Amino acid sequence: MAMRDLVSGGAACAVPGSSSSSNPLGALTNALLGSSSKTQERLKEIPNANRSGPGPQFYPEDQQLRSLPGSELDQPILQPGAQGSEFFRGFRSVDQNGLGAAWDEVQNGGPMPPMGPLYEPVQPTFEGPPQRVLSNFLHSFVESSRGGIPFRPAPVPVLGLSQSDKQCIRDRSSIMARHFFADRGEEFINAQVNALLSSLDIDEGIQARGHIPGRFQELDNYWNESQAVVKPGLHPADNWAAEFNQHGIDHGGPDSWVQSFEQQHGVNGWATEFEQGQSQLMSNQMRSMEMQNIAAMEQTRKLAHTLSQDVNPKFQNSRFLQFVSKMSRGELIIDDNQVKPGTAPGEWATEYEQQYLGPPSWADQFANDKLSHGPEQWAEEFASGRGHQEPAEDQWVNEFSKLNVDDWVDEFAEGPVGESSADAWANAYDEFLSEKNAGKQTSGVYVFSDMNPYVGHPDPMKEGQELFRKGLLSEAALALEAEVMKNPENAEGWRLLGVTHAENDDDQQAIAAMMRAHDADPTNLEVLLALGVSHTNELEQATALKYLYGWLQNHPKYGAIAPPELANSLYHADIARLFNEASQMNPEDADVHIVLGVLYNLSREFDRAITSFQTALQLKPNDYSLWNKLGATQANSVQSADAISAYQQALDLKPNYVRAWANMGISYANQGMYKESIPYYVRALAMNPKADNAWQYLRLSLSCASRQDLIEACESRNLDLLQKEFPL
Amino acid sequence: MATTQLKSDAIMDMMKEHLASGAGKELTEKIGLVYQINVAPKKLGFEEVSFIVDLKKGEVFKGKYEGGKVDATFSFKDDDFVKVATGKMNPQIAFIRGAMKIKGSLSAAQKFTPDIFPKPSKL
Repeated sequence: MAMRDLVSGGAACAVPGSSSSSNPLGALTNALLGSSSKTQERLKEIPNANRSGPGPQFYPEDQQLRSLPGSELDQPILQPGAQGSEFFRGFRSVDQNGLGAAWDEVQNGGPMPPMGPLYEPVQPTFEGPPQRVLSNFLHSFVESSRGGIPFRPAPVPVLGLSQSDKQCIRDRSSIMARHFFADRGEEFINAQVNALLSSLDIDEGIQARGHIPGRFQELDNYWNESQAVVKPGLHPADNWAAEFNQHGIDHGGPDSWVQSFEQQHGVNGWATEFEQGQSQLMSNQMRSMEMQNIAAMEQTRKLAHTLSQDVNPKFQNSRFLQFVSKMSRGELIIDDNQVKPGTAPGEWATEYEQQYLGPPSWADQFANDKLSHGPEQWAEEFASGRGHQEPAEDQWVNEFSKLNVDDWVDEFAEGPVGESSADAWANAYDEFLSEKNAGKQTSGVYVFSDMNPYVGHPDPMKEGQELFRKGLLSEAALALEAEVMKNPENAEGWRLLGVTHAENDDDQQAIAAMMRAHDADPTNLEVLLALGVSHTNELEQATALKYLYGWLQNHPKYGAIAPPELANSLYHADIARLFNEASQMNPEDADVHIVLGVLYNLSREFDRAITSFQTALQLKPNDYSLWNKLGATQANSVQSADAISAYQQALDLKPNYVRAWANMGISYANQGMYKESIPYYVRALAMNPKADNAWQYLRLSLSCASRQDLIEACESRNLDLLQKEFPL
Repeated sequence: MATTQLKSDAIMDMMKEHLASGAGKELTEKIGLVYQINVAPKKLGFEEVSFIVDLKKGEVFKGKYEGGKVDATFSFKDDDFVKVATGKMNPQIAFIRGAMKIKGSLSAAQKFTPDIFPKPSKL
């Protein structure tokens, strides 16, 4: 079943065993949550209640309608705990305490408490104002639950309930009934509820659930609910996988797979389009600022950095939320034109423009993104792109459906690493999530560790230097983080932190820290070189080139030979020439040779790079990082045997050099010696469990060395087991 | 050379050397297929650069395959290709997310795994 069906409530949406197919997101949450039947029921029932009740709204409605998919989530999301109480409060505020009180009784008393005297199981008399009468009436309904006897309503005076009141009562009573009679069958519950409802003169017709303005809010509520429930230990991926399998059986068959794929493909295309427009934006919080001024990138980066420290969990939530919400938006545009003219397809663009500063700046913004393309070109490009794409897509889909789909399904189920299909999907889903989370880290924002024991240390800088000297890199990183939190302008603190991360094989964090060092002290040569090296490692040529040239410009001896205008159009050959000049001016300066070596790595002239590093090593034989650079260069030019001896030199000088250990592993793996590579990765990870690259490589090596039995340990990052299995 | 800005170039260059050095012998025995990989700098389908990864002969080059039909063609964005080649993203995920498009034999596509690419070592 396509995701879209789940959201839109297509015919395929009828969840087995449920009475209503019109509550699509109930089905979606089912898909996410799977087992907890109580939760499902509750989720299914909630939206209408929230809409009609005067209970707290998560967001103002008009804003909902104007906002972009996902942007409503920029507002703080309720904490999981708060969601629960929000839910209950919503409960209470409807019907001015009548139902709320009943609910409280049930909550306090438990489903079947042995407390008789307070509530005599006799029919109470109904007198007084409607509130009171209703309250008593509902109490009697609750009473009936205690004995588990069918509810026999007493006649009630006409209460003059409004439509929405009725609907509230209906929804809430069926929720409650499902709580009370969780152990009974669906029929019993329905009978109970119907008895109640008919006595109150509420008919089932009210149930007709149209598409109502509160729709988006409902989606969010669903999601928040599901989040709150997921937290206490359900493993969403497992359920997801299970659900998927089930659907595979229910709706399986190659045809439906293809169909749903086509549909999804369409949605994806749309989503991709949308993401493209925003691809450079670093995080939700930063989005609107970026829109205003892309040149202020550096500034906003800092801001996001600050934000990312305290709102981390929300980031995670909102990312995925955005995804879901986006889908719901796409669905509405296509399927619900009539119901919701406010979001008809044509108006989506307008809405987008309104949201962000009006049409002209939007166009500008887009033009900036697309470098030299003006708005007109953009339109043309888009038009032609569409022309190209549609046939191509059709072709592709045809191609896909021509293929032997059965084979594909089977093959996929077997999985390339021999896992069961459920595991493969679950892993894939996990990976997808973790990648979503990891996405925020790639933006050059430094991510601080939680629970840093060095916060409050009298002199974390000195402690950090000491730990670094001892080679305790992960500890040193913590101490230095504490230092830069205390003194954010401490360039040396940031620099050493960056070096630590680089040696710990985490280039992302190294870059982020070095950027801060660079901000604090833009002319520091070591920082410039380190940035050049890290960007080279990340294969970001242009950026690396910029920093390496910056090194030359800011060097007291060689600055004179670096014409400033060159910085605007950096060509590798020019820069390499200048550095060669510099090395002739002062052949004894190892640093110039090091930069040259990095430069040649960038252009993948590995032989020259090796020569440069070797020259530098003659001048600085005890520089362990230099030995590693030599080794890495040799490894990249497929001289793995030489590389390993260079790494060995580095490790002799600095036994805790995580990067060199990981590189060792890479060298063995690249020679096809996967089994040999494993202990090196494990060793590196034992010293820095946060080295994500090494975990990925370890996983690859394990599967290539036919050690699938330990992939689980790798996934769960069980270092003890791995170290026991692969001692070095 | 440094005139192009694709990160994938670096991986492909390494792959070329990797195969040329004989380290890729096993690969040609194990896989023995020809892949075409289209890499787009920013957006799928736009300004694509085609690489042929010939695991029959053990060659990598830019351009069109002359020896007939390739077994499978993949299309990526630059960053996504790097992620897949370095094991950061698994090909199935890439496919599901629409980050990778496949044309051609799916059994050939199944053999396209991250371990065929050499991993870059870090300076």
